Amino acid sequence: MSDPMAEIRASFFIECEELLESLQDGLQLMDDGDTDPETINIVFRAVHSIKGGAGAFGLDDLVHFAHRFETAMDEVRAGRFQPDGEAIRLFFTCADVLGDLVRAARDDDAVSSEVTDPVLEKLEKLVGVEEESEEELDFTPATLSLDLSLDFGGDAGLPNLPDLSDLPMAGADESPLDLSSSEEATEPLVASKGFTVFFKPEPALYISGNEPLYLFRALRDLGDLAVTCHAASLPLLDSIDPDIGHLSWTLTVHTEESEQTVREVFEFVDGLCQLDITPLAAAPVAPSPASVAVVPALPPLPPLVQPEPVAARPAPDPASTATPNDAPVTAAPKPEAPQEEASPAPVKSSATTTSEGTTPTKTTGTPTQPRATVRVDLERIDRLVNLVGELVINQAMLSQSVTEAGLPPNSPVSTGLEEFLQLTRDIQESVMMIRAQPIKSLFQRMGRIVRESSASVGKEVRLHTDGENTEVDKTVIERLADPLTHMIRNAVDHGLESPEKRLAVDKSREGHVTLTAQHRSGRIVIEVSDDGAGINRERVKAKAIEKGLIPAEAQLSDGDIDNLLFLPGFSTAQEISNLSGRGVGMDVVKSSIQALGGRIAITSQEGKGTTFSISLPLTLAVLDGMVVRVADETLVVPLNAILETLTLTDDDVKALGPETHVVQIRGGFVPLLDLGAELGYRPPQESYVGGIALLIGQEDGNRAALAVDAIEDQRQVVIKGLEGSYGRVPGIAAATILGDGQIALILDPTDLVSQASGRTRPRKPQHALVG
Amino acid sequence: MALRDQLRVMVVDDMSTSRGLITNALDSFGIRNVASAGDGPSALQKLATTPVHLVISDYNMPGMDGLQLLHALRTNGPTRGIGFLLITGRADREIIDMGKRLGMNNFLKKPFDPNGLRAAIEAIVGKL
Repeated sequence: MSDPMAEIRASFFIECEELLESLQDGLQLMDDGDTDPETINIVFRAVHSIKGGAGAFGLDDLVHFAHRFETAMDEVRAGRFQPDGEAIRLFFTCADVLGDLVRAARDDDAVSSEVTDPVLEKLEKLVGVEEESEEELDFTPATLSLDLSLDFGGDAGLPNLPDLSDLPMAGADESPLDLSSSEEATEPLVASKGFTVFFKPEPALYISGNEPLYLFRALRDLGDLAVTCHAASLPLLDSIDPDIGHLSWTLTVHTEESEQTVREVFEFVDGLCQLDITPLAAAPVAPSPASVAVVPALPPLPPLVQPEPVAARPAPDPASTATPNDAPVTAAPKPEAPQEEASPAPVKSSATTTSEGTTPTKTTGTPTQPRATVRVDLERIDRLVNLVGELVINQAMLSQSVTEAGLPPNSPVSTGLEEFLQLTRDIQESVMMIRAQPIKSLFQRMGRIVRESSASVGKEVRLHTDGENTEVDKTVIERLADPLTHMIRNAVDHGLESPEKRLAVDKSREGHVTLTAQHRSGRIVIEVSDDGAGINRERVKAKAIEKGLIPAEAQLSDGDIDNLLFLPGFSTAQEISNLSGRGVGMDVVKSSIQALGGRIAITSQEGKGTTFSISLPLTLAVLDGMVVRVADETLVVPLNAILETLTLTDDDVKALGPETHVVQIRGGFVPLLDLGAELGYRPPQESYVGGIALLIGQEDGNRAALAVDAIEDQRQVVIKGLEGSYGRVPGIAAATILGDGQIALILDPTDLVSQASGRTRPRKPQHALVG
Repeated sequence: MALRDQLRVMVVDDMSTSRGLITNALDSFGIRNVASAGDGPSALQKLATTPVHLVISDYNMPGMDGLQLLHALRTNGPTRGIGFLLITGRADREIIDMGKRLGMNNFLKKPFDPNGLRAAIEAIVGKL
């Protein structure tokens, strides 16, 4: 059996990631100017929860840092510190460091105090909190009245176990309890036991020198007390008789004491007042018609609820008056709303006389109810994905058998199969959805990249994100992290100008990097754009010529020049700094994107900025492919690589040598590769005229035509990896099983073409392709 | 039959890590009748069908905090007598005083070890 503590520890770190995410979210909201207390509370609670869990596992570094951070956030929460932009940036840094500490703790690593200490120092300087000393708290545990120490014997069970089956719950899933809403404010906080006392002094009470205040104080000694003053009969000042008093009160006392004890408080005023004492459960609502807000003489009472003006509660309106029994679980989806609704009276003229002072019962703004989730081992999902893949294959086989059996298309079997096909697709999509995650976590990591890289190059950069709830396959998200990091760094380092340069061209001091994600026609499109200077095409071209990547006389369109950045060897690390454009390792970025079945494109406008856009398939488990035949072999070519299909005519195909052909397409020449020969299925053909070719496009503009014998079908295929069994096979991406049970290889056209062009380049220089 | 075999406990915490830690500790004391809930409202809902003797609840939870849960328990007849142990990261006087007034049976400050938890429970229900 596995160690339960190890499991809890592992789940703690997973939970920490979620908390770090909501921490980032909260800070982002604060940065955007959100001052909602609940937002601050979310930030506070995230840090607090991480600290709490870390404490349980003895992760001292983490606890130490989280504690300081928490203390600072508590200052913000309490309103003692108003964070400005600088403070929020520091909080972001704290969140980053906190994340580092969490991950270090997870990996049994450590974060140097050289990283944490300066941050803490800044934090304390900025927020200026003193380490509060733990005060000694006197608390005597209250022994449970249930007599559980007895041996109940046998299976008699627990005789004292209360029957809870009729617990009145106003839909616990609807809304949380909100103690600060208006109705409850006048209601007892503890209704365990107690009494409602209606107290109306006769003039004789005052004349005989009694003071109601002292009675109230005596009552307070019995337990928690809430007081409502009824002042409706108070005349105007010019007609007031000070000897009469005019006021009456409803006092709710929560006490374990008997009615007799409560009555004894009023012993000395017996006969000098109207006194009604009712046990709390049966207590009627406030008997007065109206009341006023001013009760000057009352002493401070224990803080029970947040003192906030409370709307009048007119007795004749039963709809808006809750009985004590159902009051505590008032459904309050919009905490602000009830206050307005509960005040049909034109004059808000009442207040509960609870005393001043902050209380831990906070105003819950719009509490974020966590969605119900379940954690599933990724392996189980992958198994399901695999099985659904089998189902898809099985369905394809079945379809094929039905077709071969020659059944009419409207036969029950055929129509049933249609539905089966639809269901299979739906199941497949649903399963893929399980693997999908919002891209948000990745975007949040980019926030840090922007903060850190802008700080290191002395630029002011703001990251905007859009579409962060776009769902992307988990593996795609993981494998996008590196390329995206690279692109964001490039945008900050090279895309954006320095603040001075920006000001000189009438731009804002602060540069903007925008990261967006969206679904577009069955693919995910992620864009990284900046509002920088754009690509300096002259310098890029000059650099490419200098590097020997293009001939000096090459005529290149703007797009062609931009695409030079993706060429391997375009620039190396040493040259970054004196190149005002981009190009740092963009070939690496490109190949990682392509490995995911994606494409990358670049658009740039001088002076306005540059946008990189990545387009990715929704999933890595299936792909849309074109099924082709070559030399009696069936192959699948990913549809996204095919620009167009061509029928080869005599005019189009030119032989450059015995084994080298090119195809003329709209005035340009593209190398023609015989797929059968490239894969070693057959020797190169004498002539390809009359054959079919697939025009393969690559993002760098490098194109090639693949000659095939026939195109059979276009369909979704399930990707079955080969690397586990065969290692990496050049030109081959994976395999799949077709409807007839045949195994077909899925091509990696990009790889295939670059392999081939490696051989053919000496004879056909690359500039011919783009020129 | 020992008390620990009889005692029914509900653990309420929004962090599953904390629920796991407490449940694990309870298990080591021999307390096996343990239910758990991720927030106050669902705790109340579960209590309607699964009565317990003792609720061990975190203070700082979104939506409904531990003291609000306590208040809800104390104001509903059937749950009024349930023991309540508050777990809090910050043992502020305000929180403790409020808890005292609402009828909290005991509190425990984080971080705690299983022995601390045991002592806090035993102070309420007696020797386990």
